[in-house]
Amino acid sequence: MINLLLRLYPPRWRARYGDEFAAVLEERPLGPFDVADVLLGALDAHLHLRGLGAASQHAKGFAMSLRIGGYAAILGGILWFVALAGNAINDGADSGSSVLGITLMTSIVVATAATLVALVGLSAFQSRRHPVLTWTAFAIPAIGAVLGLLGVVAMAVAGDTDSTFFGGLSAYLISTIGVTALVLGSALFAIATWLSGSLSRAASALLLVGALLFVPAMGGVTGGIVPPALGYLVLIGAILAFPAGWIALGLSALRIDGPRPITLEGASL
Amino acid sequence: METRIPELGRFAEPALLILVSLSDGPKHGYAIMADVEAGTGRPLGPGTLYAALARLEERGLIEALAPVDRRRPYRLTAVGATILAEQLHELSEFAQLGLKRLARSSG
Repeated sequence: MINLLLRLYPPRWRARYGDEFAAVLEERPLGPFDVADVLLGALDAHLHLRGLGAASQHAKGFAMSLRIGGYAAILGGILWFVALAGNAINDGADSGSSVLGITLMTSIVVATAATLVALVGLSAFQSRRHPVLTWTAFAIPAIGAVLGLLGVVAMAVAGDTDSTFFGGLSAYLISTIGVTALVLGSALFAIATWLSGSLSRAASALLLVGALLFVPAMGGVTGGIVPPALGYLVLIGAILAFPAGWIALGLSALRIDGPRPITLEGASL
Repeated sequence: METRIPELGRFAEPALLILVSLSDGPKHGYAIMADVEAGTGRPLGPGTLYAALARLEERGLIEALAPVDRRRPYRLTAVGATILAEQLHELSEFAQLGLKRLARSSG
C-alpha cells in the first residue's frame, strides 16, 4: 500500500522526499485518516510543483478532516433517520408509495456515502491507537456500501424487490446485507472511539447502542426471533439511537474543531 | 490570528508546529510527527507534515541533514530560528492580551 501511495506523488517530489517519506509511513500502521491525508498531500504536491499550491485545500489537515467528518456524520445521521423511519412507515402501509420508495433508496445511498466519509474524517485518533479495529470499521461498511448500492440499483432497474439478482439472493436481501455491514462497522467504530476517548464517549455509547439494537430489531420484525411487540419497540429504539449517535459524534467533532465560547463582554476591543 | 511565517498560507499552522518541534534540535520526519502529536494532542498526518516540510525548506527556514538509514533529519536555520522567535513572541503577547481581557470581563 505504501508503494501505491508513493506513486501518487510527482516523480520530482519522490526523487527528493520519497525514501524518507516511505520510512515515515512504515513507522506505524496507517489508518483511514493517514491514507486520506497522504492522498491530499499527493494532490497538493502536484499543484504545488505547478505553482498552484495556494489552490490546495489540504493545509488544515486534522482540523479540516474533523470538520468534513463532523458534517458528514450529521448529514448521514439525519438521512439514516429519514431512511429508517420512512422505511418502517412504508413497510407498515398497505401499499407502499413508489415515490417514497425511491426517496428512501436515495436517502440510503447518500447516507451510506456520508457515513463512509465520516468514518474516514473522524478516525484520526482511533487509527493511531486501534488501527486494526479502525480499518475493520471502515472496510466492512465499505464492502457493505458496494453491496447496498448493487441491491438498490437492482431494485430500481427490476422494480421488484423479490426477484433473484445475484448468487440466488434477492436485490432486497443484498441491500439489507449492505446496510447491516454498515451498522456493524458503525458499532466497531463506536467501540474504537470509546476506547480512544477522542470524541464524546456518550455519543459513542449512543451509536453503539443504536447499532446493537439493529440486530434484534431486524430479527424481531422480519425473522420472528423476538415477539413482534418487543421487536417493534427495539426497532424504534434503533431508528432513534443509531442516527442520533452519528449526529452526536458529528457535533462532538465540530465542537473540538470550532471556536471556544469565550465572552468578551466589557473588554475594550 | 494570522501567523507571520512568510507565504505559507494555510500551511502556516503545521509549519509553526514543525518549527517549534525543531527548536530543541534536529529531528527526522517521524520524530517531528510524534513530537507535535505529543505536544498538541492532535494528529499530524504524514501528507500534511511533508507538504509543510517542503515549503519550509524552500523558504530556507529549515535545512535537511545527511540521512541516517532512510531517515533524514531536519534542523532550523538561523533565519528559521529568528522567524520562529518573532512569531512566538507575538503569539505570547496576543495570549497575554487575551488573558487580561478575560480577567477583566470575569472580574
